Amino acid sequence: MLCIVCMKFRLAIAVSLLICASTAQSHEAIFAWTYTTDLTPKGHGEFEQWITPRWEKEHGSYSVIDFREEFEYGITDDFQIALYLNHHYVYANDDIPVANPVHPKRRLPSVYETGGEDVHAGHNPATPFGSYHFESVSFESIYRLLSPYKAPIGLALYFEPSVGDQESELEWKILLQKNWLEDRLVWALNVNYELEFEKEEEGEWERDGVFEWFTGISYRFIRNWSAGLEFWNHHEFADATVHEHSAYFIGPTIHYGGQRWWASIGFLRQLPTGQAFNQDNKEFAAHDGYIFGDEHEEYYVRLKVGFNF
Amino acid sequence: MTKSEFAFIALPISALVAPSTFAVQYLTVDQAQRAIFPGKSLTAAPAKLAPAQRKAIEQASGVRVLHDEQQVWRVSGGGWFIVDEVVGKHEFITYAVGLNANGSVKQIEVMDYRETYGGEIRNENWRAQFVGKTSQSPLKLDRDIKNISGATLSCRHITDGVKRLLAFYEIALKRS
Repeated sequence: MLCIVCMKFRLAIAVSLLICASTAQSHEAIFAWTYTTDLTPKGHGEFEQWITPRWEKEHGSYSVIDFREEFEYGITDDFQIALYLNHHYVYANDDIPVANPVHPKRRLPSVYETGGEDVHAGHNPATPFGSYHFESVSFESIYRLLSPYKAPIGLALYFEPSVGDQESELEWKILLQKNWLEDRLVWALNVNYELEFEKEEEGEWERDGVFEWFTGISYRFIRNWSAGLEFWNHHEFADATVHEHSAYFIGPTIHYGGQRWWASIGFLRQLPTGQAFNQDNKEFAAHDGYIFGDEHEEYYVRLKVGFNF
Repeated sequence: MTKSEFAFIALPISALVAPSTFAVQYLTVDQAQRAIFPGKSLTAAPAKLAPAQRKAIEQASGVRVLHDEQQVWRVSGGGWFIVDEVVGKHEFITYAVGLNANGSVKQIEVMDYRETYGGEIRNENWRAQFVGKTSQSPLKLDRDIKNISGATLSCRHITDGVKRLLAFYEIALKRS
């Protein structure tokens, strides 16, 4: 029954995208992950649909499709606010290592169970898990201090609180952008810090910290079309203080920008150069240089479609 | 990832990768010529830049020259009509510049503009800021040319384009 509901939901999103794609004219976010300092102008709005499938862990099956619907509005030319909804569908089976009951900090060799960040607490780990979950509502604000079209470098500050039933978070970003070749070659760098508050089974809230940076470079090779490369480095801190791991991702991005709508699609693959710094992460997350566990998958694809109004 | 999940991703993408180009032409060359030089006769005088001229224009204007060939018309009684294009946010912006016999800007006209925001660059008030500018003018956004909300890139590129064409006049047209 649940699968039928999910299929109908996914079909509805796909059909709405098709309708919008075929009737809208043509416009922008040239990267799938990295933000630029371009904002929605004063008095204008934009609707964005994000779809992010991510999959593959050390063992078994694990695939998630994250959805985001975002409404942006330009308060001034340099200040933009946005409200967005986060929800996802997850399927997991035998994907995480099992702890040794005698030594809980060690794993049982070659024994796996169903679990992960998106698997609900209380689920029987011996059975597969498949579910849709409405995650959170986020409020985003971006203030641009320097425009890359007038200053040597673009600079903007980003703040976003999110509230959900299982997790709430606060996120800060510094956005930088530098353009060359009549603004056809764009480089962007985001330095992010995030405080996450996750609900535990006992009703307690666990605090985690994330430091990460994204960078991307993209070139408009023909009219309307840009292509580039993005890189992501993610650091996780337990209780926002204990450095747990560092994971690295890289992949291509392609972007189409038209007059009234735009679309970007990016692919990221985790590089086998991740590092685990504490015993828990070394045992349960690190595998052949990859970081999995509760945090990461090997492959990520993100499609973003925006409509300007 | 299952087949149905891949189909779910592939379906909307396939619709996105075959978009139709949204082409709007506000003025043809003939219409732009009549708007800037009504009642005058114009004779085509296309110019091809030598490498040294190209370099001199770039040095004088501080703007990169994208094309060696420039569409130019000589105006009866003095003056020049030039059609040029600059990079927009997504597509090229085609515009025409009319120069008086002394090399100052008589008028500019936007011929093609296809961007999401900033259609106001076609407004007479914004274009009027260029009238009388010469190669000695600063032609800098927020200095002697006002910006338009949401169209900073287009405004800057048109401003840079006019600055480059005024240098082109000094180096390639003035003595011809």
